[in-house]
Amino acid sequence: MSSQPLQNGALNGVRVLEIAHLAAAVAGSVLADLGAEVIKIEPPGGEAARGLAPLAELPGGGQVSCAWLAFNTGKKSVCVDLDSPEGLEQFARLAASADIIVSDFERLPISACDILAPLAEKANPQVIWTEILPFGRGGPYEDFPATDSVLQALGGHLFLNGDIDRPPVRIGLPVGVLQGGAEAAAAALMAYYHALRTGEGQRVDISIQECVVWTLLNTTMAWQILELIEMRGGAIRRERANRFYTRCVWPCRDGHIFFGPVGGGGGAAREKSYQALLAWMTAEGAGDPILTAFDWNGDGQFEISQANYDAVTEVISRFISSKTKEELMTRAVASRILLAPISSVGEILGNAQFRARGLFERCDDPQSGLSLEYPARWVRLSRTPLSPLSPPPLAGGDTRTQLAVEALHEKVD
Amino acid sequence: MGKGIFDGLKVADFTWAAAGPIITKQLSDNGATVIKVESFQHPDSIRLGGPFTGDRPGINRSGFFADFHSSKLSIAVNLGHERRAEIIHRLVEWADVVADSFRPGVMAQWGFDYESLRKLNPGVIALSSSLYGADGPWARHPGYGAQGQALAGIHTMTGWPDRDPAMPKGAYSDSVSPRAGMAALAAALIHREKTGEGQQIELSQIETTVKLLQPELLYQQISGREPSRSGNYKEGVIVHGVYPCRGDERWIVIEAGTTAQWDALCEVLGDRAALEAVRHTYGPVGPDGAFCALDAEMAKRTAGWDAFELMARLRQAGVPAGVALKSCDLLEDEVLAQRKHFWPLHHAEMGTLKYNGPAYRFSRTPSELRSASPLLGEHTEDVLTGILGFTREDIDAFRACGLLD
Repeated sequence: MSSQPLQNGALNGVRVLEIAHLAAAVAGSVLADLGAEVIKIEPPGGEAARGLAPLAELPGGGQVSCAWLAFNTGKKSVCVDLDSPEGLEQFARLAASADIIVSDFERLPISACDILAPLAEKANPQVIWTEILPFGRGGPYEDFPATDSVLQALGGHLFLNGDIDRPPVRIGLPVGVLQGGAEAAAAALMAYYHALRTGEGQRVDISIQECVVWTLLNTTMAWQILELIEMRGGAIRRERANRFYTRCVWPCRDGHIFFGPVGGGGGAAREKSYQALLAWMTAEGAGDPILTAFDWNGDGQFEISQANYDAVTEVISRFISSKTKEELMTRAVASRILLAPISSVGEILGNAQFRARGLFERCDDPQSGLSLEYPARWVRLSRTPLSPLSPPPLAGGDTRTQLAVEALHEKVD
Repeated sequence: MGKGIFDGLKVADFTWAAAGPIITKQLSDNGATVIKVESFQHPDSIRLGGPFTGDRPGINRSGFFADFHSSKLSIAVNLGHERRAEIIHRLVEWADVVADSFRPGVMAQWGFDYESLRKLNPGVIALSSSLYGADGPWARHPGYGAQGQALAGIHTMTGWPDRDPAMPKGAYSDSVSPRAGMAALAAALIHREKTGEGQQIELSQIETTVKLLQPELLYQQISGREPSRSGNYKEGVIVHGVYPCRGDERWIVIEAGTTAQWDALCEVLGDRAALEAVRHTYGPVGPDGAFCALDAEMAKRTAGWDAFELMARLRQAGVPAGVALKSCDLLEDEVLAQRKHFWPLHHAEMGTLKYNGPAYRFSRTPSELRSASPLLGEHTEDVLTGILGFTREDIDAFRACGLLD
């Protein structure tokens, strides 16, 4: 059997309808990358997400939504007024030939889902109806108002972030909504796989709150087993079962790095990492008796006193602050030191590893005149590569062809 | 109720730590037979990471490990042994999916790279998830999700603008990448179902996490400006913040984006005039660390409230609000309870613990966490005889030579 890549993606021939604000657009974007034909259903004039923050000023005047540009490449767009009887008919016609429909709570209230989902199922019993909701289906919570930050809080992640002398601090990205979208793509495909094998369609709902709970990793077990209520931390935090605070974020010459050189677990890799750091510091004349005064990463690493920890941190900190991020990472890779630069957004674009792997792909958009690099190649499928990027659609740019095609299907039937 | 979506799917699971096992958990909790391959010489590293039952470390006592291994089987094979292929080749021939999350090069060193797997089983789907990816200058650099989230930009967007960036809880790339990995794997299964063709899937956990900053990456290119952390300040709303409530470390998020929400918020908190008077001050923390007057006024008004009561009142009034739930609160949360998010499962050494179930619900093919996490090697004999077709004599011989413990 040939292992050469095909021209088409894994989801070639799969048809997706997307009724989106942000989360469903992320889901649609994942499916489009994987080769599906994704058709956005926008209200006449275009969806509200075309104005979603962050907004950037265009060189020729006007503003553009970077969030919208980010998650709408490779899609088609039809404008349908879902509040009108005619629009509902058009929707049903589109649904008849769709494999997956994906929606989110910021675009469609539950009451609208309750109208559209049965229409779609009547038109097409095999369809996968996918809803991304704050808390999921199935109880009075369906109607609780929520935003991404509210869900970062109710998923238990917010409580764990930020300096202890200030309120907990959020991740400054809509991480719940974005991950809800990615989760929806995965779940919709699982259901479609089932439909493909059995002919059985179904509904799928995603809870963003539960998606956030899944970013905690060990928090719910730590409570059940040890009755441990972890406290939040910022640059400094008390990690795992430590009895002392450790520094996780270290200032360096041109920014910050993440590093946990001593104390609090990590095993053999951490021990070797520390030895490599010591060798480097010694070679540069930055050695100090405190660096070897204790078995920092061996037995007793959980019992280090705060004063001793602070003393060794002072010495290490002085060394790190004399280096740049690039110097630190170059040495880290060469000597297996477990540190990493805290990348700024610009540095992500310049990252040597991402560049070497070809993460970025340029997309030229004749409409806006923008030529932008996207972190597009997020996975490699050896036989069915990701689709090349094509610019986001004009609102309703495909209304005529898509709805005409649907009408044609109906005549043939 | 029907069978799980992956009922009948066969998975040889070499993944370890968090990012890989969270993917294969989606398979096992939906009906797949997932055989996790470990060894006593090199058990999964998070078996050695707490929390441990009774605060007593032990290979079968980690709750961290347990949560990612519901519904899976475990076999213990010494993969460093020269005869490893005798067992692993038969496992690969049996499998529909072979998954690993080792540092690149480890599977190849054992002779289990994709080309070798494909010769044994042309239709196999081989999924490899690693921190930095399979090639490039950093491919073999060791690391964890804590490094991953720093490089992916999560840190730079988290924390107070007047202070060092904060380290977000968790190894964030470990929880972001499984969603991408699962979507790609499902797509490959769909392609295989239609064509019979297998393939290799390869991803970097950091690169999938970078996708969360895709809007910021575009913004940087268009504007030339660097997006950065802004505490709890959010552009484009009337108010958004985290405010104190009564009791020890009780905090609530409140967000009003529309005038109707603002009006309702003022109604609930009372003294509308005082809030209106400082509404225009809403902004980020200053370089001196001072909060805006609106944040200060909000905090003054919320401080006397019970956090859960305030959340209920605000919800009723249509204002988005959420208590910053602590670990203990999550286990008691009424929404998660009604949603049956937690699955109590019994384990021989750890007793009954509540495992996290998935974030999705299928109306016709419900997921099911069928069993607690396996003991290391718990199913070695059952799998070797019942699934892979080895005899008792084979197993004795494997034990005698050290291939099995």
